[in-house]
Parts: sequence; C-alpha cells; structure tokens
Amino acid sequence: MEALGINLGFLIVQIIAFTILFLTLNAWIYKPMLDMMETRKQKIAQGLEDARVAAEARANAEKEAAKIIAEAQAEASKVIRDATERAESAGKEVKAAAEAEAAKAREAALAEVELERARILGELRGQVASLAVAAANKLVGEALDEKKQRALLDEFFSGVKAGKVVVVEGEFQGEAAEVTSALPLTGEEQEAVKKSFKAKEVTFKVNPSILGGLVVKIGDKVLDGSVAGKLEGLRHSLK
Amino acid sequence: MEGSIMEAGRYVGAGLAMLGAAGAGIGVGLSALGALTGMARNPDTYGNLLSSMILGIAFSEAIAIYCLVISFLMLFKVV
Amino acid sequence: MEQVKRRPWRRWVLLGLLIVGYILGGRFVPVQPEITVAPEKLIEEPLFTLPVIGDFYLVNTMPTLILTVILLLIFAYAVNRSLKKSAQTDLVPRGIGNATEAILEVIYNMTEGAAGKWVRTVFPWFATIMIYVLFANLLKLLPGFESIGVLHHVAPGHEGHAKELLAGKWYLFTAEEGEYILAPFFRGISVDLNFTFTLALIAVVAIQVVGFRAQGWGYLTKFFNFGGVFKKPVFGVIDMFMGILELISEFAKILSFAFRLFGNMFAGIVLVSVFGALLGKISIVPAAIYMFELFVGIIQAFVFGILTMVFMSMATQGHGGEEHAGH
Repeated sequence: MEALGINLGFLIVQIIAFTILFLTLNAWIYKPMLDMMETRKQKIAQGLEDARVAAEARANAEKEAAKIIAEAQAEASKVIRDATERAESAGKEVKAAAEAEAAKAREAALAEVELERARILGELRGQVASLAVAAANKLVGEALDEKKQRALLDEFFSGVKAGKVVVVEGEFQGEAAEVTSALPLTGEEQEAVKKSFKAKEVTFKVNPSILGGLVVKIGDKVLDGSVAGKLEGLRHSLK
Repeated sequence: MEGSIMEAGRYVGAGLAMLGAAGAGIGVGLSALGALTGMARNPDTYGNLLSSMILGIAFSEAIAIYCLVISFLMLFKVV
Repeated sequence: MEQVKRRPWRRWVLLGLLIVGYILGGRFVPVQPEITVAPEKLIEEPLFTLPVIGDFYLVNTMPTLILTVILLLIFAYAVNRSLKKSAQTDLVPRGIGNATEAILEVIYNMTEGAAGKWVRTVFPWFATIMIYVLFANLLKLLPGFESIGVLHHVAPGHEGHAKELLAGKWYLFTAEEGEYILAPFFRGISVDLNFTFTLALIAVVAIQVVGFRAQGWGYLTKFFNFGGVFKKPVFGVIDMFMGILELISEFAKILSFAFRLFGNMFAGIVLVSVFGALLGKISIVPAAIYMFELFVGIIQAFVFGILTMVFMSMATQGHGGEEHAGH
C-alpha cells in the first residue's frame, strides 16, 4: 500500500473534502436549480393551461359569432323576401290599376268610336233616304208624295210610326232595355221608344246589318223586329 | 544477481498481465458496435442504448482494470 | 474552415508557438521525470503523527485538493448567485447559471429516465461526482502541474538528474545523471489513488444506502437469497450463488471504479512525460496527447457519474420482479 500511496489519513481528508463539496453543491446548485426547474415547469404548464382556456374561449366566441352571423343572414334573407313580396304585390296593384285604366280608356275610346259611327251613319241616313226616294221615284213614278215616302222610310229604318213602336208588340217590363237599329234614331224616335217601353234605362245601338226595324233586348228576352229577321223568317218559311 | 532476475521477472510479469487488456478492448469494441448498430436502426432508443452501452463497457473494462491491478501489485511489490 | 478563413492569424499563432517550442526545447532539454504511482512528498518528514492513522505527510496532491475544492466552492457560489438572481426576476437563467443548468438538465433527464421517482435522491450523487471528477481531470492539464516543484535527494537505487542554476533559488534539471529528483508542487488529484479510492468507496456505500432506503431490509435478499433453496432445489441454489457473486461484485465495483479513473489519468501523465522526453524538440506530439487527455478526462468524469447513477437506480428497483421474469 505504501508504494501505491494509499494512506488512511489521505483517505479521510479526501472523504472530508468530498462531503464538503457534496453538501455545498447540493445546497448551492442542485436545490435552487431543481426548484427553479420545477417552478418553470409549473409555469409552463400554467401557461399551456391558460393558452388552452384562451383557445377554448376563442372557439366559443367563434361559434357565437358564427351563430350571430347565421341569424343575421336569416334575418336579412327574410327582409329581402318580404321586400320582394311587397314589391311584387305593389307591382301587381299598379299593374291592375294600369290595366283598369287602360280598359277604361279603351271603353271610352270604343264609346267615342261608337258615337262617331252613329253620327256618320245618321248623316248617311238622310242621303240614303234621299237616294232611296229618288230611286223609288224613278221606279214607281210620282206615285207617292215625298212626305209620305220619308215617313215610310223612317218607319222602315226605325220601326217607329207616329210616336209608337210598331215593329215589336206586346208588353215589356224590365229594368234596362237595349234597342238596336240599322241607322241611328233621331231624338224624337228615341223618346217614342222610351215611352213605349216602360223601362228605366234604354240604351241605343246601331247595327247596319239588321237593315231596318228594331231589335229590342229587355232582361233575357230578345224581340226581333228587324228587317233582316223578317227576311230570315221569310226565307225559312219558303224552304 | 538474484535480485536482478527477480526484478526482471516482475517487469515481465507486469507486462504479461496487461495482455488481458486485449480481451477488454475486444469487449468494449463489440459493445460499442452493438449499441451503434442499434442506434442506427432505431435512433429513438439513443438514450437507453447509451446508458446500457456505458454499463456494458464498464463491465468489460473492469477485466482490464483487474489486469492493471495485478500489474501494479507485481511492479510495486505490494503483496 | 470558415472560422479559420475569417481569422487567419490563428494559424500563424499556432505556427509561432510550434517554433518557440522547438527553440525552447533546444535550450531546455525535456527530462523524463520520475514516474511514481504514489503522490510525492513535498517535505520528507511527516507533518504530524496521529495515534491510529499514523504518519501524515504533506504530499503534492494536498495543495491540488485544496485548490480544487476552493475553485469548486467559488464556482458553486457563482452559480448560486446567478440562479438566485434569475429566480427572483423571471426564471430565465443567464451566464454561468445557464451553462451549468444546460449541462445538469441533460444529466437530470438521464437520471429521470433510469431512476424514475428516485431521481431526487440519485441526481446529487451523479452530478457531484461528475463535476468533482471533471474539475480534477481538467485541472491536471494546467501548465505548471507536474513540472514545478522542490528538489529532493534521490533514494538509493533510483535514477536522478543533475541540477543547473537558473536564477536565485530556482534550478533547472539537466539531462545528465545526478542525485536529484523532482517533487512537483501540484499533482492532479485524479492521479492519486486516495482520491479515486475515496470516490469509489463513497459511491459504492451510497449505492447500498440508497438501496436500503428504497427497499428496506428486502435489499439484502439481493445478496443472501436463501428463500428459493427449499422451494426450487436446483434454481434456488443457483440463485444463492448468484447472490454471493453479487456480493463479491459490489467489492469489485470499488476496485474497478478506483482503478478505471486512476488508470486512465495515470496513463495520461505517463504518455505526456514519456513522449515529451523522447521527442524532445517536437512539441506537437505532446500537444496532441494533451488534447486527447482533455477528451479522456471529460469522458471518464461522465462515465464515473453515469455508472454510479445506473448502479444506484438498479439498487432502487427491486430484484423480485426479475425473479418472476427469469423463471
């Protein structure tokens, strides 16, 4: 042992030195370091936990926001739909009004045209009568005087003779009567027609295709006193 | 003269005792080989293999240390 | 390479140092010192004599031991202050505290992997042994160690060297034979069997203590395993002999711990001095060996520590589980 230098005294000195170092290092390095590592680990864990909570909160907020957005979108689409519906109905009303307006205008135009036509036909009536008289004069000679002829023609066209309706017979009761003549009736004739039909309202129409006489429509009854009707009846009976 | 032969014998014996270190060297090399192969195949086991390797190296090196001790005993006439 | 390119003067410094070494080697011839296993006595007479222990000499590892311990205490104080400062502020370590923590954290994780819940018990042993051995091994490499000391008259039958006056009371060795040998002031404590043996003893005793703390008296069944002899005759006897082998290996551990560190470090100084003396002027070879010594010193410190740690964590884990797994 002497040659190897091992000596009990040296061993004891070394043991003392190691003990001093062990205790010192333990107290000065390991303990504070391990404590600090522990604290840091806890802090990191705390931080991670906080981050997790924050992430959760953010996810919740995002969900909330998504919900709010969805609600808002639903609201918006509803508003848009309502507005569209309202606009459509308004448009429909406007359209209906416009259509009504147009129909009214058309009716007015039609009435005007009717009036115009009646006027033209009324003007024609005198000439037609003159032509007919002249032609008849040529045919039958001077057999009839002019006054009589006119009365005949008037009767032919209007079915009214001396203030009385002659083409149709019978009693008429009704609210409204529609009287159609081949040529427009004069004011006197109209008065006579009104008198003979005890109707409240009498409207007069002109339709040259009936050739002469009157067609009277009262309620659901039609009385055909027209020349065309007579000719038709004649043709029927000739068959 | 007799003392010189004795001294020569001690030196020769000490040198021959250290032959045992050859076996330890082979052992250490084999441990490192095995550990390195393992680490190369599976790098994740680095930590485990390192401590096991050092442990194995320590055990095989202990043989060389016995040789060293015997050699010292001869050289310094401890026994 | 880039670093060298950025600072090319480093190469010139190296070259200059080599040339200076060559010239100085020509003027002051390196002398192979007397290599002894035992630390040299600085004073021939014992300092004091104790009744049981015996004579106590002042050997050259004692100054180194004191130096190492003082340096370590200063280091520990500096680390402590750094840690305290960072603990008070923001838990972020800086400077020396950070460097120490970076190293110790690796060790701590390693210990945690091996020892599990006993990490707090095992870690201080691992770390203390490693730091202590590391300081001892690195201090040994300082210039002046093993080279400056007092001259003694050589013992009869040994080789000595002649001396040559340098200046004042300082002398220089010459290559000629003479009657003087050198006893350096400082010799690395890891090249002292007292140091390595002490560490080995402490480590092995601590391993047993930790084993007892972890397993109670059950720890002893590792060595005296008679329970199985009656239950399973063949394997029980084998187990018993295994236990006795374990007991022997505990004592072998002391020896292998002590001589592993000592052998490596001793080989280091022998290599450096022998090569220095043989090659003389060519100082690059001892320099390379010095670098190798640095490496070996760090490795050995780590190995000493990790072996202590592994044995300790093996002692904390019971051997009962192994028994079931083995049969």
